[in-house]
Amino acid sequence: MICRYRLLPAVALLFLAVPVTISAQTTATPRTPSGHPDLSGTYDIATLTPLQRPERFGEQAFLTEEEAAALEREEFDRNLDRNQASNPNREAPPEGGDGSRGAAGNVGGYNSFWIDRGTSAVLVDGQYPTSIIVDPVNGRQPSLTATARAQAAERAASRPENSGTAWWMIENGLDAPGPYDDPEIRPLAERCLLGFSSTGGPPMLPALYNNLKRIVQTDDYIMILIEMVHDARIIRLNQEHAPSNIRGWLGDSVGHWDGDTLVIDTTNFNDTPALRGATRDLHVVERFTRLDADTLHYEFTVEDPNVWTAPWSGEYVWPVSNDRVYEYACHEANYSFQGILGGARILEQDVRDGAVPQQ
Amino acid sequence: MVNMMPTQIRSISLTSLCALSVGLLLVATLNIPTHAHHAFGAEFDPNRPVLLTGPIVRVEWVNPHTWIHIEVTDDDGSKAIWMVEGGTPNTLLRRGLRRDYVQPGTVVVVDGYQSKDRTTRANARDLTFEDGRKFFMGSSGTGAPYDNERR
Repeated sequence: MICRYRLLPAVALLFLAVPVTISAQTTATPRTPSGHPDLSGTYDIATLTPLQRPERFGEQAFLTEEEAAALEREEFDRNLDRNQASNPNREAPPEGGDGSRGAAGNVGGYNSFWIDRGTSAVLVDGQYPTSIIVDPVNGRQPSLTATARAQAAERAASRPENSGTAWWMIENGLDAPGPYDDPEIRPLAERCLLGFSSTGGPPMLPALYNNLKRIVQTDDYIMILIEMVHDARIIRLNQEHAPSNIRGWLGDSVGHWDGDTLVIDTTNFNDTPALRGATRDLHVVERFTRLDADTLHYEFTVEDPNVWTAPWSGEYVWPVSNDRVYEYACHEANYSFQGILGGARILEQDVRDGAVPQQ
Repeated sequence: MVNMMPTQIRSISLTSLCALSVGLLLVATLNIPTHAHHAFGAEFDPNRPVLLTGPIVRVEWVNPHTWIHIEVTDDDGSKAIWMVEGGTPNTLLRRGLRRDYVQPGTVVVVDGYQSKDRTTRANARDLTFEDGRKFFMGSSGTGAPYDNERR
């Protein structure tokens, strides 16, 4: 009996220790044989948290749990609505366009079942930020430089609503240059060179779909495979940047370990980096920290003095995904590009034939 | 509509107030991407609305966009193959939908706009079965028990 009673504290300790041990196992940081945190794996970065804080939140940096739940419910309900049956006797959409904006350009896009922008808000340190951007404190990109503002206004003015006409000839004459004159002046995503929404970055940001990233790690290199357009970022560790005359779509990335955090520095971009509005002088610093076996913490700071009047920074988490990154051979069936260029030629001929009146 | 279209490709010239309402409702409820692989406005002609009905004859489960081929029959019996453009197949693959899920012969209804190059291509603005049910389902609201519990 005495022995049994003596055992009790030990048994109690064993019970207490079990959950502690399990907890330690689930939060342990996997490491490579050389001792660095092992970042390798597949991550799904889709999130409902926007890059910039919606203005209605003002200075509010975090959602309450109720607000985060409401955000998820809102998206859930939106998808539920989109999945409802349509009128089986519907007519064709309106002639002259359906009024949709953005990439849908007055003709609409496609059903929501092809969209995958996540189902939840980002949770960082137990809180739900109202934006990915954390600096400036208003959660929004700093103001544009005067030059960038003028260029943005010029770009906006040069993109009239889709009227189904060769508007550039109607407005500026039969010999006027147009946005479809040369395949190489078309946007990079349309040409299958880079994904849209800075999905491959840097900085790497959530997009409308295809949000998987796959990290492969050695002692000398980190490779980040971007699902969209199948871009692969190659980061050389403990190396200097390439000479400034060597430039790339994804820039030139070098990295080093700062304790248990991987720091990646990227410069040497082409004239049109993936980040909207950025220039060849873009400089991005990214920091990856493994929080636990299931999560990476991703931080970034963006500088481009040609565009923004101050640097800006953001952070969010990358949850591990069990999904597979399927090949995204963008060129294989990019019929759209052929249709866009071929369509422009036909619309131009309409103007030459007088089928569309010139102003 | 500028050129002759099969009668099953009904134009807005038939539009009634009711149809206009349906159109506006679709605009309000469809997911309209603000960013995408390419601008649909660059590819499709707002002056050439189409409504296509016919059996699927082929599916190109390809990147960057899925293309579903359907056979559309005119009133005079002549047939044409139309290709309608959807989104990336990766999303559907991850939801467990494979190319062979889509059986040839399945009749679908598509509304959208014809390509500016005036080939028999259109965007699949809304792709449904004949009875109006969505062809696939989005990422939530599938009616699965888990979804119902969340509600």
